[in-house]
Amino acid sequence: MTATSRMHPQLVLLLELQDLRSQHRELGEEEGAGEVERAHFHIDLEKARSELEDKIQELEASLNPVVRKRYQRVLPNRDRVVVPVINGVCYGCFVSIPTATVGDEGAHQELQGCENCGRFIYILS
Amino acid sequence: MELRELFTAEAVKLELEADSKDAILKELIELLGLDEKSDTILFKTLKRRENLGSTGIGKGIAIPHCRSLVVNKLCLAYGRKPGGMDFNAIDDAPVQHFFLIVAPPLEVSNQYLPVLGKIAQFAKDPDIPGRLEEISQPEEFLDLLREKAPR
Ligand SMILES: [Zn+2]
Repeated sequence: MTATSRMHPQLVLLLELQDLRSQHRELGEEEGAGEVERAHFHIDLEKARSELEDKIQELEASLNPVVRKRYQRVLPNRDRVVVPVINGVCYGCFVSIPTATVGDEGAHQELQGCENCGRFIYILS
Repeated sequence: MELRELFTAEAVKLELEADSKDAILKELIELLGLDEKSDTILFKTLKRRENLGSTGIGKGIAIPHCRSLVVNKLCLAYGRKPGGMDFNAIDDAPVQHFFLIVAPPLEVSNQYLPVLGKIAQFAKDPDIPGRLEEISQPEEFLDLLREKAPR
């Protein structure tokens, strides 16, 4: 069994979505990443952003309804729906997560949320 | 921060074995030493970036890059494919030299973009492709960065 098949399939989707959202946000930067992508890599920013928007919508539609509902509830006011947990701290709200949540290996495969801010969490070792 | 300090000898591979675009990305990702589940997500994200337009910037050099949730710090790797391979580079030439750059979505130190810019600048130095080909040990790659990388 591969590592991602052990991982909660909805978590895989959420991580992909979050990475796509980061890409999409950066390509919209006039002076930051957008400029670098245009100048060094000759990326057509508008076209790239619209391709990413399509892909984001497609992935959002493929979330299971319960997860999608929660995702939409978190999304309107928070740009980052999935955040890493590093050394037991949620990087969405910077509050410590109970060790029971992050402690055992099995927890890494589960779809979990931060009790404080409601974001989905991804435990980084 | 100098480029030299961001690479380790373990993240330098002078004989990449893969011979397709996907396999090269996977081989480069392996150099970062992440866990298997992170490798898989990272591959998807890098591939999505490549689909927007190749990171092969010409003259035998490619700089695959992205931000991803699966890393908690800036991660870099260098791989060399002797003889080169097709990577849909902007000049259609085969690519021999691959610089992988992965950064977390949020960085306190904001190194990602300056590092991406410095690597692109380093790679565009006309001496660099030839010098990279002469390297026989990972440490020599680090020495070359020390000598030639923009500060
Ligand atoms: Zn939180």
